[in-house]
Amino acid sequence: MTIGSDVKQCLASLKGIEASLSSLAIRTQENESKQTLHETMMVVNELVTDLNKRVGELER
Amino acid sequence: MPIWLDVVFRAILFIIVLFFITKFLGKKQLSQLSFFEYVTGITIGGIAAIVILEVRHSIFIGGLAIVVMASIPYIVGLISLKSKKFRDFVEGKGSIFIKDGKIMEDNLKKERYTTDELLELLRKNNVYQVSDVEFAVLEPTGDLSVMLKKENQPLTPKDLNLTVASVKEPQTVIMDGQLLDEPLATIGRSHAWLHTELEKLGVTIENVFLGQVNSYGELTVDLFDDKLQVASPQERPLILSTMKKCQADLELFALGTISKEAKQMYSKNSEKLQEAIDKITPILKG
Repeated sequence: MTIGSDVKQCLASLKGIEASLSSLAIRTQENESKQTLHETMMVVNELVTDLNKRVGELER
Repeated sequence: MPIWLDVVFRAILFIIVLFFITKFLGKKQLSQLSFFEYVTGITIGGIAAIVILEVRHSIFIGGLAIVVMASIPYIVGLISLKSKKFRDFVEGKGSIFIKDGKIMEDNLKKERYTTDELLELLRKNNVYQVSDVEFAVLEPTGDLSVMLKKENQPLTPKDLNLTVASVKEPQTVIMDGQLLDEPLATIGRSHAWLHTELEKLGVTIENVFLGQVNSYGELTVDLFDDKLQVASPQERPLILSTMKKCQADLELFALGTISKEAKQMYSKNSEKLQEAIDKITPILKG
């Protein structure tokens, strides 16, 4: 059960990162940095999807 | 009209005339004195002084002389723009003083520069050892431009194969406690945003001497009250450290789980995150 909560915590952190990256990307003036921030946000988003699935499995 | 009044009148008039003529001739006249700008500058000053003091000269003739003298560098400038040969003749070419690390004594002699003067010019460029210099040229304006040998040049990120995030110029949005509308509009921010950011820092706008927004939209301020400590923006380092923590967590999960499928998922994702971290570190660190 502890593992489950650890994974959930990690998931929450990742969601936080995604949101921060997204807001940073919007605020950044420089186009190249904006692009990189956006791409990283997409990667984090994939991670969130995967972990979400895993959390579902752990709760079963 | 008494003489003194005439002199006052002329002085004011010629200051105005000279002001507009310098404006018309542009920044070049002020910044770099080529031969023509040097000579005409002196002459115009001389004419103005004579016409102001010697009231028997007519103002019109003095003004005419000044306009003619001012138009000469203007015309010369126009022709110089078109013809390289004319430019070399009028403005002069640079003479090479050091080439391949060796001093060109003949060129020094031609320009009548002594060794001491060469050393002095080098020192002005922060060079104390002649052997550090690969190439140096005396510009027509009298400045020495120095190219150091590669091993003596300052180290750049390129030399270290470092990737650095490119940045845009910061905008100054607060000066002397006053909000500046134009730079704020340039970066597409509203007054409300600025007030929120100031609130986050816990300062009022009246107490801000200077406030700038960098290309990541972070506000940094300098306060009138130098005893107060202001927090520096922490958002980007925080994102980076959270990302690193998550990456480590994922690796831990991969080691801890029994399910093969889950193990694979965790390690794949931790690799993905590591890649992302490597890519974004220059931005989040900077």
